[in-house]
Amino acid sequence: MIEITDFSFQYREGGEPTVRDINLSIPAGTFVGITGPAGSGKSTLTYAMNGIVPHCYPGDFYGSVLVDGLDTCETALTDLSRAVGSVCQDVDSQFVTPVVEDEVLYGMENFGVPRDEMETRLERALADMGIADLRERTIASLSGGQKQKVAIASVLAMEPKVLVLDEPTAELDPASSQSVFDLLVSYARTHGTTVVVVEQKIALLSRYADMLVVVEGGRVRFADEPRRVLAHADELLEIGVNCPRSTTLVNRLADRGVCERVAVRTVSEACDALEQVVA
Amino acid sequence: MSAFLEYVPGKSPLHRMNPVAKLGAAALFAVACFCTSSLVFLMALLAAGLALAAMCGMVRQTLGLVRAVLAFSLILAVVQLLTTPAGVQLVQLPWGYIGTGSLIAALTTIVRLAAAAIPLFLVFYVTKTNDLANAAVKVLHVPYKYAFTFTSTVHFIPVFMNDMKGVMEAQTARGVEFDRGGIVQKARLMVPLCVPLLVSSVRKTNSAAIAAEVRGFNLRTAASGYKEYPMRVLDAAALAGGALLVALAVALG
Repeated sequence: MIEITDFSFQYREGGEPTVRDINLSIPAGTFVGITGPAGSGKSTLTYAMNGIVPHCYPGDFYGSVLVDGLDTCETALTDLSRAVGSVCQDVDSQFVTPVVEDEVLYGMENFGVPRDEMETRLERALADMGIADLRERTIASLSGGQKQKVAIASVLAMEPKVLVLDEPTAELDPASSQSVFDLLVSYARTHGTTVVVVEQKIALLSRYADMLVVVEGGRVRFADEPRRVLAHADELLEIGVNCPRSTTLVNRLADRGVCERVAVRTVSEACDALEQVVA
Repeated sequence: MSAFLEYVPGKSPLHRMNPVAKLGAAALFAVACFCTSSLVFLMALLAAGLALAAMCGMVRQTLGLVRAVLAFSLILAVVQLLTTPAGVQLVQLPWGYIGTGSLIAALTTIVRLAAAAIPLFLVFYVTKTNDLANAAVKVLHVPYKYAFTFTSTVHFIPVFMNDMKGVMEAQTARGVEFDRGGIVQKARLMVPLCVPLLVSSVRKTNSAAIAAEVRGFNLRTAASGYKEYPMRVLDAAALAGGALLVALAVALG
């Protein structure tokens, strides 16, 4: 679904490339998590997928980025938007209407979705995000988590093949963050949507993602199944990426010879590993 | 009313009317106020405006508006009082006099401004800005980019006001005394905040523009849009009523 080949990008006002020599292949229906230290180029990588670079932020673009067969460099942003839905980091500045219903309808209205289909999609998107009861509410009256869900619902209603989200849980508490990820995974599994999420909370990514991409200094350092990426716990720590606490616990025990060194992703996997030791 | 131009929900006839029709009728009402100098007629229009506010359940907010208009129009009224010598002389001035006619002219100005402002104020509060913009695009075929500019401006005013409040609170926490002194002192302290606020505003506006563009902003036409805004009998009646008021105002002079 997404093929990134030898991709490098330098913003016009930048002194050096923000991302360089990126090669990634993301199959359709994959849930991908991108993480890395601040300023490592995570957001720029997602901008390349949804066409914001080079269409909105000009600069030197090298290599190619294909999404659903469309070259993001040559395809107009509007055409690309039919395939790729994007949720920005700052959801407050993403909203263009004052009411939830209008916000979810906005993209569909622009893309000329038939009127009778709009109502169905509107209801489904709100239900998928668990916010059907907020339909008539003004966005200003919503909490941070609710706003996040509205922003995602407004993109889901356009039924994109690829969903790109930049730190969708940045302002959310742990319970709300998990709720957003639960809803995203459920939606992606049901609709076969490819989801790319930039996120600092690696425990969430490790638990939900099929593929974990770690970016450092504008380059992809690791891109694999979360379990395999977490096997490089020490290297991740060196570049400023903390592993989930369950992974760290099992690693520490393995260092002391209590158990075998296995990369665990979740608390339940850590429990399983420790139960084997006890047994 | 929690924010500037934030929609006030309700089920009054004004709430239910076609956005374009109510805006048109309110504009005609305002034109009528400026086409007449009859104080009695203007008082009647003011009463009608207040009745409309009562119908919308917005009397308190409307009285707030009237107070604000009063403060502004008082300046004009004083100027008029001092520069319109008419009627029976009441006070002698070095350049003329204040007469009964001067008082009526000043009062007329105050009533005219208040009467003209009320329907427009009500229309903006009982209509979602999105409906107003969409109806303008669909019914009047206003280019969407202009309608979007209007809705974005209204949408971002409270956002920027919140940003301003946040910066002021942060500055207050660091010892800047925003809570003391007069208006001049506050204005002087606010000047250095303009640059960070401007930068933040430009960033937010840019993000909003990108967000709109990736959701097909450029494809929007008059045919787009989920909601329809048909003209009903009430809408036609309101427009006809507005036109009649203008005709009456012109006739009365």
